Amino acid sequence: MEKLNVFASRLLPTEDFVCSGHRACQGCAEVLAMRMVHKELGRNTIAASATGCMEIITSPYPESAWRIPWIHVAFENPASVISGVEAGYKALMRKGRYPKRKINFVGYGGDGATADIGLQFVSGAMERGHDMIYVCYDNEAYMNTGIQRSSATPFGASTTTSPAGKVSIGQQTWKKNVPEIMAAHNIPYVATVSPSYPFDLHRKVRKAADVEGPAYLHVYSACPTGWRMRPELAVQIGRLAVETGVFPLYEVENGKYTITQSVPEFRALRDYLKPQGRFRHLTDDVIDDIEVRLRAEYRRLEAKVRMTHEEEV
Amino acid sequence: MTVQFTINGVKVEAQKGESVIEVARRYGFEIPSLCHHQAVTPYGACRVCLVEIVKGGRKKLTTSCNYEVLDGIEVVTDSEAIHKHRAMVLELILAEAPDAEPVKKLAAQYGVNVSRFERSDTEMAQERHDCIMCGLCVRVCTEIVEVNALAFNGRGYNRGVGGPYLEAPQSCIACGACAWVCPTDCIGFVEEDGMRKVLKWDRELPMEKDENGRPIAPKFQLHYFKEKFGLPADIYKKAPGSR
Repeated sequence: MEKLNVFASRLLPTEDFVCSGHRACQGCAEVLAMRMVHKELGRNTIAASATGCMEIITSPYPESAWRIPWIHVAFENPASVISGVEAGYKALMRKGRYPKRKINFVGYGGDGATADIGLQFVSGAMERGHDMIYVCYDNEAYMNTGIQRSSATPFGASTTTSPAGKVSIGQQTWKKNVPEIMAAHNIPYVATVSPSYPFDLHRKVRKAADVEGPAYLHVYSACPTGWRMRPELAVQIGRLAVETGVFPLYEVENGKYTITQSVPEFRALRDYLKPQGRFRHLTDDVIDDIEVRLRAEYRRLEAKVRMTHEEEV
Repeated sequence: MTVQFTINGVKVEAQKGESVIEVARRYGFEIPSLCHHQAVTPYGACRVCLVEIVKGGRKKLTTSCNYEVLDGIEVVTDSEAIHKHRAMVLELILAEAPDAEPVKKLAAQYGVNVSRFERSDTEMAQERHDCIMCGLCVRVCTEIVEVNALAFNGRGYNRGVGGPYLEAPQSCIACGACAWVCPTDCIGFVEEDGMRKVLKWDRELPMEKDENGRPIAPKFQLHYFKEKFGLPADIYKKAPGSR
């Protein structure tokens, strides 16, 4: 689907619900992804936001970049709040006090709000089976507060609380696999998306909105400020992440895995690491180790694809 | 010039020349549709976007996608009559496209799960598969891509979409805009073994590779871009990012 750029791009929705004038950094791929997500979801959407970059930049008092109902809640609970909103509307519609219509309920947070602080709340909302979408904009650290490590920071990345130096190579643990945790809830739809692949993103958001029950989207959001790279590379780095196998794009529909952006031949991991200052200290043997592990994880994903497709036959 | 009228009793304002469906959607009223797209001219093929319009004391049912807004009209987007007609229209569409998920889903909202009608058993109907003849691919190919590769062929129950004489369209650049816009996802678009294939039109084009040996897009398509926008001859030899 992704190669059909140029002309199909003129057929995408034109109305913006996260409008210009927000305070995001130059080259922020996170707000780019959020714009695309809300373009596709359209007007009948209610959003709850965790604390984080996307809350700060869209709602500096007394302004707002939002053209839809939007609420900022505490760091941990956008999933709980939006599930309450969903339940409330459901009750009103059942009692006939609100016209029956399709409304998209979206809770979103960064990787810190999703993988660390809000994990149990997201898990709870997914388990209760609300008809909602949870979107995690993953920029791989607490960028808003000053680039502190989160559990979604990749191995080897230097952040202010996992600094690289003589005794440390930066982040010492492997990135937490949140999409996989959500897939383990047996919810109808889980997908990883990247704003560098806009058609894939639009299609997956549409699927997530159409599905009955909870859906989870994990968005790869390049952060030039926190990743110490040039802002104009934000989109390209998203492509490199997929081409090097760092962030495979796949979806899980009712437990069935599909790789939506297949990579026939991986690029060398160095192509991905080199433009980013947070990885500049890594030595060749560490990079090789990371590459070996990434390939193993990709093979495991491929095995899941094969296994879940065989079951059906 | 602005026009004022009402939708479901709510006063709305629009620019002259806009269609009712666009204004209604902008104000948050929902009107289902299969053949409407904001980027191309309206066509009124699917008839799902029916609304009631009262003009000069007379009420009539009409498609909202190709009805231009007028001062003082009253639009109703949902009523018992509209519901009944939309259900009927969807039942007919469902008969032609029984496997198309978006159609099934929309029909189910109007209480239509099985169609009472039979699909025509002509060769053409087989060829059409889930196509509902909405003409979106044709309009996109003509107005957006501007290569005019697709057109309607034949008449009546022998009508179908494709290249001239229903052979593989020779001017198709395999850009995939038709596959993206198709409301029933019946076109099919794949890339394998260095070939770009648009399945419904039987169009297969070899891919051009960049300096790293990665396929970019069909050679024919890149040639079209270079011609159209006056690009240097070797631009696609370079990898993305170094052009």
